[in-house]
Amino acid sequence: MSVDTTAPVTGGQVTEDTVLAEISGMLRVLLDEYGLDDVEITMDTRFHEDLELESIDLVSLSADLKERYGDEVNFAEFIAGFELEEIIAMTVGQLVDHVVVSLREAARG
Amino acid sequence: MSRFLFVVPPLVGHVNPTIGVAAELVARGHAVAWAGHHDVVRKLVGDDAAVLDCASPELAARGSDLTGPAAFRFLWQDFLLPLARAMAPGVRAAVAEFAPDVVVADQQAVAGGLVAEELGLPWVTSATTSAELVDPLSGMPKVKTWLAERIDGLRGGSGGPDPRFSPHGVLAFTTRELLGPVELPHDDVWLVGPSVLPRPSTSDFPWEWIVEGTPTVLVTLGTANADAGHRFLAQAAQALSRLPVRAVLVDPDSSLSEVPDNVLVRRHVPQLDLLPRVDAVVCHAGHNTVCESLWHGVPLVVAPIRDDQPIVAGQVVAAGAGVRVRFSRATSAHLADAITTVLDDTTGHRRAAAVVGDSFRAAGGAARAADHLEKV
Repeated sequence: MSVDTTAPVTGGQVTEDTVLAEISGMLRVLLDEYGLDDVEITMDTRFHEDLELESIDLVSLSADLKERYGDEVNFAEFIAGFELEEIIAMTVGQLVDHVVVSLREAARG
Repeated sequence: MSRFLFVVPPLVGHVNPTIGVAAELVARGHAVAWAGHHDVVRKLVGDDAAVLDCASPELAARGSDLTGPAAFRFLWQDFLLPLARAMAPGVRAAVAEFAPDVVVADQQAVAGGLVAEELGLPWVTSATTSAELVDPLSGMPKVKTWLAERIDGLRGGSGGPDPRFSPHGVLAFTTRELLGPVELPHDDVWLVGPSVLPRPSTSDFPWEWIVEGTPTVLVTLGTANADAGHRFLAQAAQALSRLPVRAVLVDPDSSLSEVPDNVLVRRHVPQLDLLPRVDAVVCHAGHNTVCESLWHGVPLVVAPIRDDQPIVAGQVVAAGAGVRVRFSRATSAHLADAITTVLDDTTGHRRAAAVVGDSFRAAGGAARAADHLEKV
């Protein structure tokens, strides 16, 4: 893992590490049949260039995120905020940060 | 009698559907001409047709790693926008020479719609793939703006109708059975079905290869993806070597080093002549290959690479007419499973393919398209 910092915990559990582990799990399930064994998923892993995710994968991932985190995390809104160049370079870490921030904000009320 | 000018990009899949429509118009006493890359268009439309040359950069070779949003950026920034700038003077000259009553502008030959609008001519959009009809950028408003600004930049930022969607009408070579229940951009999107016409065969074929009683599988990655397909074709050949089939594999670059006994490798095939005798097609989900296969009721294994292909692949799967695999990661095992699945009649893929094929024939194709064009 390239992540060695533990983000401050809010609402009990939310850290960068746990969210990265959970999202990596979702991505591995998504690509399972195609063997992701050779790919390490880190904060710097790029959705397109490294994982070769397709648009249907993003739809599945969105559903997985909703199932795990509820309405606090809005993947569609996250994607909608990106310029073309940002979408091309989008990383797992950006999504992790988004989830962490969203959950902390929700916990603060 | 009216005069129709087809404005096309130098892409086979975008020219082919116009040929049937043009033939129908000519049969009804109208005059037709094409504006586009002279050599590319001439080869497809035949020696007798009127072709008015437009400077047109051809689509550069794209590696297999150019996919997703990076492929989208490349397609517009490095091909379609420069193409529009290069074609515009030729389209204006073609209009001056041919004096059309109606311009039929391909959705990717953006210069067609722009020039027609500039000159005040009625124009219709030819959508040879249905991917744009489903608003693929709806979830990415900033990307949508990026493109809209660049398209508007082609006309000096003056604003006006989207040159990809004529307000006079959009010919869409598909049907609801394949497109699915999506909302269309406006009421004058005419779902006329594919324009599949016997076309002059440009390649010979050893027909004795096809043997009655043994399933035949065609593997093709279309005309615009050869350079990206070497790994995939090698995996497909391996998959086929394990199956009780005979296969025809299109390998334009002769990239395969080892070829199993039950696989015939050709650089080109007469696809339309071959399809009635084929039991499954493995392809990149290009709209024309998909439609031609479904027209003949042939189920598909789709491995979309980029551009509109992921959307078309999604349509094939949703219609039940095929199985999707990942182009960049599929191994011979994945492909063997997928091919076996679509060849198995109990899975229903063949029946679903036939249902879409029936809808295509019922939609009227070129004749229906000509009906609409005559009313513009």
